[in-house]
Amino acid sequence: MKNSFFKKGGKDKESKDIKDKTSKKENLISMSKDYKKVIYTNEKTNIEFKIEYISSLVDEKIIQKSALPYLLEKEFTKITDIKEILPIAEVEISEDPKQIEERLFTGFVVLTISSNKEKFCFFSAQKEIGRNISVPEVEFSVIGPKEAFVETLEQNLNLIRKRLPVKELIVEETTVGQLSKTKVAIIYLQGVVDDENVNTVKQRINDIKIDQITDSSFIGQIISDNRNSPFPQVLDSERPDRVAAVLSEGKIAVIVDGSPHALIAPTTLIEFFSSFEDYLLNWILASFFRVIRLFAVAFSILVTPLYVATLTYHYELIPQDLLSILITSRRVIPFPPILEVLFLELTIELLREAGARLPTKVGQTIGIVGGIVIGTASVEAGLTSNVLLIFVALAALASFTTPVYRIGNTIRLLRFPFLLLAELWGIIGIALGFSLLLTHLIRLTSLGRPYLEPIYPTRLVDFKDSFIRLPLDAQRKRPLYLRSESPKRMNPKGNKKKDIDE
Amino acid sequence: MSVNIPVTNKISPFLVFYLIHTMQVGVGMLGFQRIIATYAGTDGWISVLLTGVILHILMWMMYKMLAIVDGDIVTVHNYIIGKKATKIVCIPIILYFCLFAISVLRTYIEIIQVWMFQELETFWFALIYLLLVIYIIYGGFRTIVGIAFFSIVLPIYILVLFLFTVPFADFSNLLPIFDHSIGDILKGSRNMTFTVLGFESILLFYPFIKNPKKSHKYAHLAILFTTIVYLYICILTFSYFSENQLQKNTWPTLTMWKIIRLPFVERFEYIGIASWFLLILPIIAISIWGTSRIIKQVYSIRQRRSVLVISLLCLIGICIPTTRSEINMVTDLTAKIGFYFCYIYVPILFVATLIKKKVKKS
Repeated sequence: MKNSFFKKGGKDKESKDIKDKTSKKENLISMSKDYKKVIYTNEKTNIEFKIEYISSLVDEKIIQKSALPYLLEKEFTKITDIKEILPIAEVEISEDPKQIEERLFTGFVVLTISSNKEKFCFFSAQKEIGRNISVPEVEFSVIGPKEAFVETLEQNLNLIRKRLPVKELIVEETTVGQLSKTKVAIIYLQGVVDDENVNTVKQRINDIKIDQITDSSFIGQIISDNRNSPFPQVLDSERPDRVAAVLSEGKIAVIVDGSPHALIAPTTLIEFFSSFEDYLLNWILASFFRVIRLFAVAFSILVTPLYVATLTYHYELIPQDLLSILITSRRVIPFPPILEVLFLELTIELLREAGARLPTKVGQTIGIVGGIVIGTASVEAGLTSNVLLIFVALAALASFTTPVYRIGNTIRLLRFPFLLLAELWGIIGIALGFSLLLTHLIRLTSLGRPYLEPIYPTRLVDFKDSFIRLPLDAQRKRPLYLRSESPKRMNPKGNKKKDIDE
Repeated sequence: MSVNIPVTNKISPFLVFYLIHTMQVGVGMLGFQRIIATYAGTDGWISVLLTGVILHILMWMMYKMLAIVDGDIVTVHNYIIGKKATKIVCIPIILYFCLFAISVLRTYIEIIQVWMFQELETFWFALIYLLLVIYIIYGGFRTIVGIAFFSIVLPIYILVLFLFTVPFADFSNLLPIFDHSIGDILKGSRNMTFTVLGFESILLFYPFIKNPKKSHKYAHLAILFTTIVYLYICILTFSYFSENQLQKNTWPTLTMWKIIRLPFVERFEYIGIASWFLLILPIIAISIWGTSRIIKQVYSIRQRRSVLVISLLCLIGICIPTTRSEINMVTDLTAKIGFYFCYIYVPILFVATLIKKKVKKS
């Protein structure tokens, strides 16, 4: 008896709590200025109905033109009739009051009939505000398509779908972030992609526990295999053509609402040095530029450490004629090589940071001021040698050749540990730094796939698109490390070459 | 009896080539010419060939033996003498591999001290080097193999640079051929042991090979390649130096590099020594990794822990010898133990395995 009494009391309290909560929620919503609630009466059946929406998310033109005229003038008695009279594709009927809040804040209009408050009708009237598609600015190319992703997920999906109009292109959507409720789309080509990779990506995205996501780079950082590595393990691109191309290779793309960059995984180190323009050029030219780029990167990392190592410890390495030039240029300089180099390197880094933070037009001035004025002045003042100035400027220039912005940052950073090691043990120190870097790169994986592929593990077939890019004829197979379900992308060449004068 | 290794940790058969070759080519390559020439003179190249042949036979024995038990050196011992006796017999093997790592790294540090930095602190350099090795080992066997791969592929250009000595070489130095007795040539071959040691590491990583039977030919290829490389350097050295000159050079290879002159680099031996940093890295890594693996199997101690302890032991071992003669003693000791281990103990094990197999069958 006692028990049941308490139970009853408990239940009452519970239902009261729910009522309290819902009323509280309504109060919270109505505190906002952009929450609108209007009551209308249908002209034919005299049914009273109420619509609620958030005016900042909803396009009121849609309500006025494609909803209200029908709701007021056409006949309807039950809430289920609305589905038939409204000329809007997304109309849902529900009895679950929990959905109201979620729908309201994703740009839906909630409609209730005064006589029956149990059921709700939602129809979509989202306002689409976003910028127009523009020219890619980070991954600019002279030739080739000139469109880049924007901040709206739908528009980005549209850009990809247009390039891959097949049913195998699967777009899966989830929401991430307790506060931001960011829509995240995982895109892949069924039948081409390796399911294991897709599962890894899905699992990692679903495991994300974060309140707010502002950009795809958040997701990129969280789903990386090794978060303590300076090397990016997912490639981000703002070019829909690049994304479409890698999707057809069997990779996975992740697009985040509100971010104009798609994430591509799995990826390899080599991919960060390949520009999409490489595929638009003849293969000989493309390969040449790629080799130059890789050489530039090696140069950019190693040149100043080598300068420090040789001038601090190993003058013997330099041939006599060259040595006299170096000595002349360093004669008046009061600092040891390491300080000289650090001074100039930090100057360049400062210029770069200042240029990146300032508006474009001021940024150009900074470049000129920094490059010409500070450079020449510091040489004339005898703070640095002019040979070093050439090296540092060249190294900075070389690091700009990387087509992907993120890896450029990594290269900027890598130079400093090398410099310190060079100061410590000369070229042995550089060898130590190189071995450390190599070990780190061997240990690194992207979605569990080796990062240094095709160099190690060695896969000779995948060299067709690495340091060099062989002609499209040679690219008949998808990269091996993606473990694609259908490794062949084109049929083998049929016709034999014609004989001379045939 | 077999050791279970997950497939994802196994390596492709062809990588055995890099593993074995990298283990063999270490600091020995910088100074082996003088040592073989002490007995065999300019006929030393015959000793190199002879060593090559012997290594092929030993490699064949090891592969046969490992294929029978389908495991590594611990499994071989378990197979022959049982688990309890293995616990004792494995101690000298563990010590041998530690000693191998110590003598390689100590010799390398000595070379740096003699040629580049007289003031270099043995302790600090060894400490940092071993920390790097630990970082590699913690990445798993695949990382070690990766380092082995790069340690061959990247410095391969050095082999070409040896050709700079050709204009200064006098090939008539090699004549007359067969000037020395067979005994001397054999002695020269024995003195070469330290230079070619390392191929026995197959006893450690055999279970990590994906398709061990397929890897057999790559192991032999590695030995063949090592022999060819040594032969090539040997012939160039003997024609570049006169016999007396050679005896005065502790590291003839480094002296040979001095002649290399490029428009932007003189004194190439500095770059050579820096390249050797990477070249001996897998040797140390595989030795320490292998030791910790034996310890794991025999005494079931976690590798993460034992690697640290072994590295500490090696660090202490490296700091003890300080003078040239002491270091020479360490390498000589390693060479001697290595000689007995590879040339006598391995054949004994091989025969014992065969007998045990017959006994088990009947």
